[in-house]
Amino acid sequence: MVWSWIPQNWSLIWQYTLDNLLLGLIPPLIGLAVSLPLGIACVRWRLLYPPALGLASAIYALPSLALFVVLIDYTGLGNLTVIIPLALFSLCILLPAVVDGLRGVPEPVRQAATAMGYGELRRLATVELPLAIPVVNAGLRIAVVSSISLASVGQLIGVSSLGYFFIDGFQRDFPTEIYVSIALIILLALLCDLVLVGAGRLLTPWQRSRTRTSPRPAIAPEVWPGQA
Amino acid sequence: MSFLNFAWDWLKAPAQWHGSDSIPIRILQHLGYSGLSLLVAAAIAIPLGVLVGHTGRGSYLVVNLANIWRAIPTLGFLILMVVLIGFSILTWLVPLVVLAIPPILVNTYEGVAGVDADLKDAAYGMGMTQWQVVRKVELPLATPLIVLGLRTAAIFVIATATIAAEIALGGLGRYIIDGLASNDYAEVAGGAVVIVVLALLVQLLFVGVRRLVVPAGLRKQARASR
Amino acid sequence: MRGAVITFDHVSKRYPDGTVAVDSLNLEVPAGKIMVLVGPSGCGKTTSLRMINRLVEPTGGRILLDGQDVQQANPSHLRRGIGYVIQQTGLFPHRTIEDNIATVPMLAGWDKRKARERARDLMDLVGLEPQTMARRYPHQLSGGQQQRVGVARALAADPPVLLMDEPFSAVDPIVRASLQDELIRLQADLHKTVVLVTHDVEEAIKVGDLVAVFRPGGHLAQVDTPERLLGAPADDYVQDFVGFDRGIRRLSFFPAAGLELETETVLPASTTSADAVAVAKRAGASWVLVTDTGSAAPLGWAALADLELQPAGTVVGDMRLAPVGHSFRLESDSLRAALDATILSRTERAVAVGDDGQVLGITSYERLRDAIRAAEEAADLGEPQPGQAGTDRSDDRAAPQPADGVR
Repeated sequence: MVWSWIPQNWSLIWQYTLDNLLLGLIPPLIGLAVSLPLGIACVRWRLLYPPALGLASAIYALPSLALFVVLIDYTGLGNLTVIIPLALFSLCILLPAVVDGLRGVPEPVRQAATAMGYGELRRLATVELPLAIPVVNAGLRIAVVSSISLASVGQLIGVSSLGYFFIDGFQRDFPTEIYVSIALIILLALLCDLVLVGAGRLLTPWQRSRTRTSPRPAIAPEVWPGQA
Repeated sequence: MSFLNFAWDWLKAPAQWHGSDSIPIRILQHLGYSGLSLLVAAAIAIPLGVLVGHTGRGSYLVVNLANIWRAIPTLGFLILMVVLIGFSILTWLVPLVVLAIPPILVNTYEGVAGVDADLKDAAYGMGMTQWQVVRKVELPLATPLIVLGLRTAAIFVIATATIAAEIALGGLGRYIIDGLASNDYAEVAGGAVVIVVLALLVQLLFVGVRRLVVPAGLRKQARASR
Repeated sequence: MRGAVITFDHVSKRYPDGTVAVDSLNLEVPAGKIMVLVGPSGCGKTTSLRMINRLVEPTGGRILLDGQDVQQANPSHLRRGIGYVIQQTGLFPHRTIEDNIATVPMLAGWDKRKARERARDLMDLVGLEPQTMARRYPHQLSGGQQQRVGVARALAADPPVLLMDEPFSAVDPIVRASLQDELIRLQADLHKTVVLVTHDVEEAIKVGDLVAVFRPGGHLAQVDTPERLLGAPADDYVQDFVGFDRGIRRLSFFPAAGLELETETVLPASTTSADAVAVAKRAGASWVLVTDTGSAAPLGWAALADLELQPAGTVVGDMRLAPVGHSFRLESDSLRAALDATILSRTERAVAVGDDGQVLGITSYERLRDAIRAAEEAADLGEPQPGQAGTDRSDDRAAPQPADGVR
């Protein structure tokens, strides 16, 4: 482990870290932007959910490298080729999260809101979505962590990220690079996870006084139709 | 659609179907890496998950494991192994197993720990020993989640095995890596198509496994609550 | 805002699979009254309630609110003018108590500060301490407290109509009783039109001005005042539903003020034993009641046999007396309370006291029998009760509700 390598190549490290961060944050945001209306629709029209979820599950099962490669023809070798598949994966995680979060709103609360004169849209925006935040945030955390990690695979098709140092270290037989970049990716992911946990707490002041544990984040998105 | 044209042209060629680096061989290699890793991971993770789920000890670690696991960059891990120990069976087995363990472990734990406390109470009340409760109550009720864990692990293992071609492993990833290196887009496209089909078939396989392994009553209950 | 009249005009609800929840219901809920809809599960009472604020839409007939068909109004606007309280409260977990209560006013566009002020006023009204509770969250409150918040929330925009669907069923009996009392007390001030659904006939009788008994299948069996329901059930079904003991329960509706009391054998503590013996013998009684000379509060019973054994010159106040036990208030209690006191008394006599605790007289089984007979006759004839003292409610209901209530 050559420690001096770090300060020597600091600007490069920083550059790739930012690239990785971008590739790791944009896809979940796109996924969220799509999964929110889609999830709302799936809750409103129940029949929509099984096919939507089935499609999402099928896509989720595909290796990222294969998806990158499929897109090369359409989006070339740029960032978009990595962003789109990662956004699809994020969607696969966030759609169940949105649906479960909304379905988890207690029926008496929903009924009381209607009875007090809330229109559907208003009820959705001011009552149901806020209450769904914990579950959706849990899914978002997973999407962000996964994206940051998977972005490094994009290096294989030349899309730059911290993965650059894997390949470089491999080719030059220089382990330091590899150690550092792996550590950085994990650190970056955990940092973003923490930020999201904090954001979640901030947005849900009513949860603060509870002592119960947070919703089971790690598992929920992997539960697909036909499963438990 | 030129991607599909490329792929089709390449797939048609008989050269792909015979010889030591033909598609069937590569598929078998891929399945071999994936299958073996999954087996080893299951052998470790399922008993461990049952233990943690049944006794409740160590659950904090297990639940937080999932977050950290997802942060590990698979490509980096594989390359690290090569750099550390050179090329051997462990070079790919260790990363694949390590990546496969968390989903199996966490899901098994959740499945066992999530069994209705009243059911366990009734079972002990009937005079079952701990071991009997595990075998007759907890495990059967946990099968849906265990199968789900295996299915999820399979996704990651197959995906990582694809990437492992970068470190000179065999398998279907070879087509992509080699194709990219030699600018043979047809090979890249064809390889991608085969991988996609394989991944989907494996998922279907798990649907079948679920049908076999999960007790009928549980399956119906799950469908009703959907 | 005082109550609106609610009219069900041949209202039906039939579901696509053929189930008939409500079958051509005709019912009028008078303004400012509490109408309780009661019946077994599946009898259509909840469905009927929810058709008023259009959470369920009728398949036949109309529902009128002060003469206006509710189906003509915009549903959201309609609902903002109707308070709705449900069993599980449906409080928003993500809002403070104060914001929960202020929900409808804020929806209606009130200034936030004004809405919160109103919320705090309502908290006072329903018996919650605003200082400590306003900024808490629902999960931090007990079941009874949560239900009070639910009621406050329903009242926030001062709607003329309040709908309540099994509001008190989810709390324990003691809390339930206090919430019921709270509702009665609130209504005395607010005079809203309240429609309350319950499966508990006791609750219906306690709380309702009018009770509508439903039959399975969505038909009405009887609509009447609680007192008439107990006294004259329309058929076997209603009789069974109302339950046994209705003769005695009905006595809660007859005021004790109609009792004739005996005062001869009520003696101050300064009376001599000899005088007391004379009084007792003249009245043919085996007990005399000793009261405190100053305050006229009851001290105890003295038996004739004991009195005769006293040495000359003893004052009854110095004797050992049998305890009075349970007394009843003449002005505010019912004949049921008087009967109960008589049964519990050792001497088979009950002591009637005034509101300030001084003894007004004694009653006996015979006098009770006479009073009960008189009360039942008056009730059957539709006349006011003998000694009717007003239309206030108390725990033990004294006054029946005249149909044209003067409030």
